[in-house]
Amino acid sequence: MKNFSFDLAISLIAGIFVCLIILPIFALFTATSLSELACQFRSPMVLSSVLISLETSLAVVFLSLCLGIPVAYLLAMKDFKGKRILDTLVDLPVSMPPLVAGLALLILLGGNSKFGKLLSCYGIDLIFSKKGIIIAQLFVSIPFLIKSTKDAFESINKNVINASLTLGASRFYTFKTILLPLAKNGIYTGIIMTWARALGEFGATSMVAGCIPFRTETMTVAIYQNAMSGELSASIAVALLLLVFSFTLLLVFKLRVRVHAR
Amino acid sequence: MGIILKGISKSYDGRAVLENLNLEINQGEFHVLLGVSGGGKTTTLSVIAGLIKPDSGSVFIGTRDVSDLSPDKRKIGFVFQNHALFPHLSVFENIAYGLRLRKITEKEIKRKVDYYLNGVSIAKEKDKFPSQLSGGQKQRVALARALVIEPEVLLMDEPMNSLDSMTKETVLDELKNIQQKIGVTTVYVTHDQAEAAFFGDRVSVLNNGKVDQIDSPVGLFRHPRTEFVARFVGVKNILKVSPIKINNNEIIVLIKNEGLERPIKIRVKKYPVFEIDKEINLCIHPEKIILKKKNKVPENEIPDTGLNRIYGKIINITDFGNVLKVTININGMEMYATIPKNLFNFNIYENVWVCFATNAPHPLCGKKCRAPASERRCLNNSNFAPLNGG
Repeated sequence: MKNFSFDLAISLIAGIFVCLIILPIFALFTATSLSELACQFRSPMVLSSVLISLETSLAVVFLSLCLGIPVAYLLAMKDFKGKRILDTLVDLPVSMPPLVAGLALLILLGGNSKFGKLLSCYGIDLIFSKKGIIIAQLFVSIPFLIKSTKDAFESINKNVINASLTLGASRFYTFKTILLPLAKNGIYTGIIMTWARALGEFGATSMVAGCIPFRTETMTVAIYQNAMSGELSASIAVALLLLVFSFTLLLVFKLRVRVHAR
Repeated sequence: MGIILKGISKSYDGRAVLENLNLEINQGEFHVLLGVSGGGKTTTLSVIAGLIKPDSGSVFIGTRDVSDLSPDKRKIGFVFQNHALFPHLSVFENIAYGLRLRKITEKEIKRKVDYYLNGVSIAKEKDKFPSQLSGGQKQRVALARALVIEPEVLLMDEPMNSLDSMTKETVLDELKNIQQKIGVTTVYVTHDQAEAAFFGDRVSVLNNGKVDQIDSPVGLFRHPRTEFVARFVGVKNILKVSPIKINNNEIIVLIKNEGLERPIKIRVKKYPVFEIDKEINLCIHPEKIILKKKNKVPENEIPDTGLNRIYGKIINITDFGNVLKVTININGMEMYATIPKNLFNFNIYENVWVCFATNAPHPLCGKKCRAPASERRCLNNSNFAPLNGG
């Protein structure tokens, strides 16, 4: 009897959780008509925000791979002074409110800072540009790739790496032929998480790049702007697209993991 | 190629794992590093391989000083604990991995891999992945992968650990045959004295980062030099004795082990190292002990001739197949006997006579006074009269 009550309580709690996720999504789907949605999907503003989001988030994924994998390797494989500090720095953007991150980037890259001026001298203007969006998204989303890849590297048996070295492989060849293939699931997870986080980024992006339609207006910024200006159906259209992206990303990831687990 | 380790020391967080380790391994020798976990065996192997950089000391492979070379330049083959196969590569690709780095033709790679696949009897499994292999098959792949690059030395770190006893026996036979056939200098790490006895041309016993004894497996068992080595090779009966009377061929000693309620007198064959009142450790191999039923012989009386007899009580009996390992409590001191099952007719907690010949106890000096006459060494540095027999 006690077991039954416990199971019932757990099921009820799980039910509350499901409602918490499903109900808002359901509300989003039923808030407007299909014809209105179809019309919004064809609007230049919506298409522009989708393109900007895809362009910047894919650039973020690429940069995350270039920067994140070496950092993950360093943290997983090497012992050095300041390792804990670096590890904490990797976690910092996750725990930092995105608005704070955006403000920090705005101050650093803005025209009033020395760094911003230096960049301007070389014709690089990051504020209110797509490059600024990429920097902001990279700042908040790269930790996901680093952490996931680091965990994957750490899970590899050290003797497998040593075996490669004793067979005559250099550290780079071992990295290329042993570590990367064995860590690929962790890297894929990192890519998905980073991409999803970059797509959903709002706070830091809007601080650094502003909300300029057709220039720096990402999907999340478009949702906010349209909702605030009473264009609810446009806002819903972009939100639904974002939802479909996120859901598809997660689904693809989970299917990949299942296939690999077999 | 032989291997020379000179003054190797290595510490982790202030804890010394290797302390001024010196070791010479001859060309073509099968050398076993034997010891308990944490004794420094794997660290020694990793230092030879270049996977760990020692705090001080040098490593030579043949005449080459490899101390500053990275593992990929040392020309070694390494068989790791739990095999460490590349899980994402097939058996063929695992074995071919080292060859591909040597930039030889695909045809030559195939020829060499096939040769070793056949050599370790896993040719049929060449397209499988490590997860599809049994423990014994993985072991063979690991061995073939290490040998195919034709290393100057082969290093093996407890490779039989994960194998069941039947597979282990087969793989041990195969490994010994292969090693003898190709004659590569091999360093084999194990904590299993049976493996050491099976393989080793010579065995080094490592204790707390130092070599306690280097000897042949037989020498190690017969002439342990320290209490650690004696206990490690299964000679658990260590008697701390003080000689009190020296006769022509034998001496009377008092056993003064810790925990013993009162000293016990026994007769021991005379060895040159004995001096009156100078304490020394003796060991008695458990199979040299005979148990006899309690009779009317008074307690602890030393018979004039024949066996020593000490009164004790059986407190534990452990079954090891054909033999039983029996623990006897003697006035607070424990002694151990290995008795063939068919000769054992005692019960637990039965009082018995623990009997052993005067030549059963042997000094822990590592000198070969029990070996055949040609091998005796302790006579050379002694003023005592020669002994009869070994």
